[in-house]
This record gives sequence, C-alpha cells and structure tokens, in this order.
Amino acid sequence: MKAFQMQCKIEMIRVLRNRYFVFWSLFMPIIFYYVFTNLVNSDVPNQAEWQAHYLMSMTVFSVMGSSMMTLGIRMVQERSQGWSTFIRTTPLSDSVYFAAQMIGQSVIHVLSITIIFIAGAIINDVSLSALEWVLSGLWILFGSLPFLAVGTMIGLMKKVETAAGISNVVYMVLAVTGGLWMPLEVMPKVMQNIAQWLPSYHFGNGAWEIVRGEMPDWKNMLILIAYLVLFMLLSKYIRRKQEAV
Amino acid sequence: MNEILTVQNVTKSFQHKLAVHNVSFSITKGQITAILGPNGAGKTTTISMILGLLKPTSGEIRLFNRLPHEKQVREKLGTMLQEVSVMGGLKVREILALIRSYYHEPLPMGELISLTGLTEQDLKTRAEKLSGGQKRRLSFALALAGNPELIIFDEPTVGMDITARKQFWQTVRKLADQGKTIIFSTHYLQEADEAADRILLFKDGAIVADGTPEQIKASINKQSVSFIVDPETSLEKLYQHSKIDRIYRKNNRVYAETASTDRVLEFIFQEKIGARDIQIERGKLEEAFEQLTSEAKEAI
Repeated sequence: MKAFQMQCKIEMIRVLRNRYFVFWSLFMPIIFYYVFTNLVNSDVPNQAEWQAHYLMSMTVFSVMGSSMMTLGIRMVQERSQGWSTFIRTTPLSDSVYFAAQMIGQSVIHVLSITIIFIAGAIINDVSLSALEWVLSGLWILFGSLPFLAVGTMIGLMKKVETAAGISNVVYMVLAVTGGLWMPLEVMPKVMQNIAQWLPSYHFGNGAWEIVRGEMPDWKNMLILIAYLVLFMLLSKYIRRKQEAV
Repeated sequence: MNEILTVQNVTKSFQHKLAVHNVSFSITKGQITAILGPNGAGKTTTISMILGLLKPTSGEIRLFNRLPHEKQVREKLGTMLQEVSVMGGLKVREILALIRSYYHEPLPMGELISLTGLTEQDLKTRAEKLSGGQKRRLSFALALAGNPELIIFDEPTVGMDITARKQFWQTVRKLADQGKTIIFSTHYLQEADEAADRILLFKDGAIVADGTPEQIKASINKQSVSFIVDPETSLEKLYQHSKIDRIYRKNNRVYAETASTDRVLEFIFQEKIGARDIQIERGKLEEAFEQLTSEAKEAI
C-alpha cells in the first residue's frame, strides 16, 4: 500500500515536471480555446452554447493527448533506458505499478479538467450548473480510458522517436476527424459518417450533450467501451508477442 | 542453510546461439564472488537468469531456496545493472524514497546516503542532470535501498575513476563483513583478484575454473624453463616428461612450459642434454588472461 501511494505520487510529480505535458495539455488547449471563441469570428446563433461546446472540445482534446502521449512515451523511455528492467528486480508487483500509473494519470486528468474549466469560466464566462460541470468532468475522465489503453500500446514501441511521431499523428488525426477542433457540421458528409465510428467523436459528443442539458447517448458509451476492450486486447496481444521472442 | 544461491546445470540458448552451457555452482553467505570472463563469456546472461529477468532453457536456479521471480526473493535482493538510466523528472532523494517504499524493511535513508557517498547537493539534483560518476553512486544506492542480503552487480565499476573504484570496493567489503553476500561480474582479472574471495572464471558460456583468486591465478599462469641447446640434440625425453605441458622453439631457444620449474631443471641436469643459458620465466598473469580473452573473441 505504501508502495502504491508513493508510486502514484511520484507518477504525478513526473507528469507535472514534464514541459511537454504542461505545453500540450494545458497551455495549448487554453490558447486554442481563446483563439477560436474570441478572435476567430464564427457566426453561431447561440454564442453561449458554442463557448461551452468548444470548452468541452478542448478539454477532451487535452485529456486525450495526455492519455496517449504522456503515458505512452514515458513507458517507452522507461523501457529503453533499462529502468523497467531494474524495477522487475524489486518487490514491486506489475499490477501495482500499472495501477499506480493509471491512477496517477487520472489524477492528473482531474487537474487538467479543472484548470481548463476554470480558464473557460474566466475567459468566456461559461456558466453551467454545478451538476453539468461535475458530470462533464466525470464523463471526460471515463472517456479517457480507451485512450489510456492506446497509450499502453504506444508504450510498447521500441524507440522514443517512433512513439512520439506516431502518437502525435494519431492524436491530431483523431482530434480533427472527431470534431474536436471544429464542429463536425461544418465538415463534408463523408467525414461526418466516418466520425460516427471514431472514439474521439464519441468522447467529445458525451460532453457536448451534457452541456446542452442532455445525457450522453448510450451509443457514445458503448462505442467507447468497445474501443477500450479492443485496445486492451490488442495491447495484451502485442505484449505477449514481444515477450515470445 | 548457508547456501544463498544454487545454480544447477543451467543452460541458456537464444535461438541458435548457446550463451550459457551447463553451469553449476553454489554460493554461501557472506562471500564475495566474482564472475570473471571476457565479453561474450555469458556473464550477463547468467546474472540475468539469477535475477529472474531471463528464464533458463534448462536447469534450475534457487535463491534462498526459492525461485528467482518470487516476491520473497526480491525482498532480499539488491542489484546494479549495466546501462540503466534512472527515470527522469525526479530528484535523487525522491527516487530513493520511491524505491525504499517497495521494501518491507528498507535501509534507513541516512545510512544509505553515508554508505554510497551521495552528497546533500546530489540529493537535490534531478536524475537526468547527474554526471556519470554520480549516476553510478545513485545506482549503488538503489541496489542497497532494500537492505538486501544478496547484492548482485553487473560490471559495477565501468565508468568509475580510480578513487570511486576504491571507495566502492571498500564499501562492498564492509557490506560483506556485515554478512551480506555479494556477486559481481567483471572482465578485469585484477579487480576480481583484489575484491573477491572466490572467482568463477567464465569462458564461452561455461565455467572453466572455480576457486580462490590464488588458485585461479595459478591455473592460468604459465611458467616455463627456456635454454639454448645444440640443434642436433634430441628432445625426445623432454617430450615424455610428465611435468612438461608443452615444448616449443622461439628465437633459437627451447621453451618448456610447466607447473613445476624445479623438477624440469632437475631433469635437464640429470639427462645432461647440454642446455646452456638456462632461464626461468614466469608468465605475466595479465598476459595469460588476455590470451584467454582473445581466444574467446576469435571463437565468437
């Protein structure tokens, strides 16, 4: 238990000291949010709804990124530098190590969500009911799970450069096609159809529904769970294949 | 039960390459044992198997009478591996606190710091900013964090300067005096000689010699008697002599390699073969060892 708490604490310290995390997961989403809701003139009928909608988009964008990249790249680093091997010679069990990374990462997500929500409230006076704030926060925490699984998959790569490159591309493609940068309605029909099958769209959509006063669709939840299972199985399969060599 | 570690008929092969072949030995409490051998002799593979990082292809390894990957074993084990960079983003003190939290009865922080010579300044430094020497000290501290009974070092002094090396071995000796069992690998004969109570000499994945440093040195060190002799003289009797291992000619001299130069001299005079300008040569230990090393390299 002591080891678990310590490991969680350490994982959080490391994330917060990581400049890439602070830049990509906190600074950039807030800047984007400011730019797209204030500087870029968007003719939306309901300004307040658009501002709340886009705040969710950017929070989802932030959490999705740190799930995949911060976690994945860190795992590659630890393995390529021999640290994981050293850890295997200590009494720390694999499951405690894994759980601590997930919990540590999730606490960090709570922090990112809080900071970006506060930024939204300050920048655009976004006002939601307390329940909406909490529900959308929880939804984003839950929706990060399949992306954490992607993170563990990226974590299986051999080189930090490859992991960083690939995760960046996957991240950006998912963000754009899922409608996190601009609403799907302004995209071509084909893109809209594709988005219906992407985890990033359903991740975002759950939060958008909440700020519109609705509840996330069952479909949002089911598709995210399906992706979680798929990515976990894939991650396990790849790991087993690597160990066999 | 004084046997801390037993390795029994252990073989490890990677695809088609045989890295370790039928190795057996056991180690008792409080001993400092060196695994000595050239690169590629199977030292690291053997250590990895003892640590439970690799599975033997056949044979069995037991530590504290348990299998290497068991948690009870890990509680009593400390290690310093080759080429480990400590994870970044953390200060030395934080890393030590983290690793200590993994063990039931860790070594007190103060003791850990004084044993390894980390300074107050080092403790505040982030791991990625440490110099090579500081990193080794941190690795050493990590190995001792759990107050282990068995400590395994893989090539511990690579990259250390002379002072650091000396300090390191002094501390290791102190730990052994406290009853800790220590195993380390090295490819320097001198280091094994100075630091270890026992040497396991590895070559091509097998143990070729096992004993105290004196015994090992005697087994690899060759002495010879050399002399000048009339080319027509028959050396037949020398060839038949049981104490002579090898005879060869070099620069007009005849060399007879032997473990007992006294007996060979006696023989030469008895037989009156007309030897002149007799010299006894004690081979250089390091040279003999290097020869062993280079042979191994060619074999790869």
